[in-house]
Amino acid sequence: MWYVGGDVRLILNSDSMKPIYVQIAEWLETEILIQAIQCDEKIYSQYQLAEMFNINPATAAKGINILAEENVLYKKRGLGMFVATDARHIILNKRKNTKLRAMVNELAKEAVQLQVNEEELVEMIRGMHQKLKGDQK
Amino acid sequence: MSLVEVNSWDIVKKQYRYKLKSYLGVFSSLIIIQVLAIFFSLNGTGMSGGSSGTFSYKVNYYSGDLILVFMMLWGFITAIIITTKAYRYDDTSFVTNRLTSHFSNILFLISASLFAGLTVFLSSHLFRLITNIMNVDSIMVNEHTPLQIAKGIIGAGLYIFLFTSIGYLVGMLIQKNKLFSFFLPIVLVGAMYLDGMNNDVLIFHSISLYFLSETLLSLLIIKIMSVSLLFYGFAIILSARMEVRA
Amino acid sequence: MKVVECKNLTKQYGRVKAVNDLTFTLAENKITGLVGRNGAGKTTLLKMIAGYLHHNSGNIQVFSENPFNNLKVSANTIFIDNSMSFSPALTLGQLLETAGEFYVNWDKNLANRLFKYFSLNPDQSHVNLSKGNKSTFNMIIGLAAHCPLTIFDEPTSGMDAGTRKDFYRALLKDYIAHPRTIILSSHLLEEIEDILEDILLIKNGEKLLHISVAELKEYAIGITGKTDRINQWLSNRERIFTHEIGNDDSYVVIKNECSSSELEEAREIGMRISQVSTEDICMHLTSKSKGGIDHVFSRG
Repeated sequence: MWYVGGDVRLILNSDSMKPIYVQIAEWLETEILIQAIQCDEKIYSQYQLAEMFNINPATAAKGINILAEENVLYKKRGLGMFVATDARHIILNKRKNTKLRAMVNELAKEAVQLQVNEEELVEMIRGMHQKLKGDQK
Repeated sequence: MSLVEVNSWDIVKKQYRYKLKSYLGVFSSLIIIQVLAIFFSLNGTGMSGGSSGTFSYKVNYYSGDLILVFMMLWGFITAIIITTKAYRYDDTSFVTNRLTSHFSNILFLISASLFAGLTVFLSSHLFRLITNIMNVDSIMVNEHTPLQIAKGIIGAGLYIFLFTSIGYLVGMLIQKNKLFSFFLPIVLVGAMYLDGMNNDVLIFHSISLYFLSETLLSLLIIKIMSVSLLFYGFAIILSARMEVRA
Repeated sequence: MKVVECKNLTKQYGRVKAVNDLTFTLAENKITGLVGRNGAGKTTLLKMIAGYLHHNSGNIQVFSENPFNNLKVSANTIFIDNSMSFSPALTLGQLLETAGEFYVNWDKNLANRLFKYFSLNPDQSHVNLSKGNKSTFNMIIGLAAHCPLTIFDEPTSGMDAGTRKDFYRALLKDYIAHPRTIILSSHLLEEIEDILEDILLIKNGEKLLHISVAELKEYAIGITGKTDRINQWLSNRERIFTHEIGNDDSYVVIKNECSSSELEEAREIGMRISQVSTEDICMHLTSKSKGGIDHVFSRG
């Protein structure tokens, strides 16, 4: 998937629990995951991001910095930020360990509250998973 | 972003240009008043208005004098108007401080006074022409040389400028405290009344004479300029701590 | 470089302190939002920064000089509000030209493009403009002047929703192209928070907060649950806002200082934790009483 430069306008969710800079970081992660931005390719500057999302450049910089701290991005002096070789790997691992785990946690809680038993829950997940995989093919 | 260095005189010039363009209303009132003055003068009887016992201007000597008196009043009122908030605040929408604002006002009032002086000359000529046509018997006296004309215009302009300085000071006093707008006319009328009661020395008369009897233009310039600038200086000092859009 | 520096700044009108003992500094090239309720002292503060008003005590420095009646500050600052006045004798087109003469960094191209985009008429006079168009015109002057210190006091009053959005986008784009110190006051925080870097929140002329927007977003959390349980869990924690729902439920806003284990514990005993929008945080912090407007109607 390729974006036409400059015209990317993603509407940030300002009601979300997540601060804008985290949403920026997540958006960049997704861009890397779907390979819209390749490894060792230069990532958007804080100013480009600020313009794209209509946010303060300092907020955008904060989003970039999160990824730099996680080694998803690396800095080339005077040139800007670039995508690390193992960026996708790092992101996937992170998402598995934090996002997915938290979602599973919520899911399990809800299941307990609704008195859905273990097999039923696992079956639901399996069904959904297969359906999505089937859709992708 | 690097800071801009400014020069006060440069700003005064810019403000002066801005004021020439934006205070156009002042000049339309000038024209209206002149037409009125000519109209009053044409009535003939209107001439006696100049000598109400206390104010004994030599109005009857010179047919265009009423026009000059009207213009002096115009200068006085124009200067008061310029000190009002509406005009002062227009300055603050662009680059200014109190001093540049005053200087550009003074420059503007000098120009306006000279322009008014020129129009006094022109309309008194017009006036004489009209009376000449109306009264076939009268003879035109006073043939002017260009130098005399120039002197006449500058002289008239100076008298008007003197009144702008009084107006400016009065206006600033009123801006400082609204009570002055009530207080000053009482003081003026009261002083004139007391002055009239005392038959020996008429202060207002001698003040007027001090200026009006001056035959040398250079001395008149010095006299009027020093008095006006004193008034302006006082007005500037008065406004030093004045706030904007408070 | 510090562009604005205030120390114990106080401004009194009679016995009322419009600005009270305010101490803060604004660093160069940041967009700061000045937020507070009506009458909090925002405009008074901005007018002191612009050099219109003098202070009673404390100290204020703009570009390291006292701004009052200061030509250098005036040349490097532009103050845009809706009571800006222009001579009625000049047309809008002439006013733009005049602004160009006064402001050295004037961006003529930007001014003309914005002027066209917002379909203003160059032959019109400023006094005849509608409230919204007046704000739009003033905003164009404010942007195109490219002053190192640009102050907008409630710039969008009277503008329709579309124009407001356009303005904030134009402000951001122009700021990215020409970084400068910008102060933006508004009571609609939600509308401006995304483009702000810092927020200065004031109440009754006093500083409540001066933090980055990111910090403000995480400044507080909301807790909903049974009143007695909440009271127990909160014990001595300071409450920013309390709202009772029905007979025995409550919504309480507290500072976000709890550890994740504490929050987990709260969830376990059936409390719901929610984020509080910056708008709400500011509203709660600046409200007259901890119960908000409901307090007025409660008996007892």
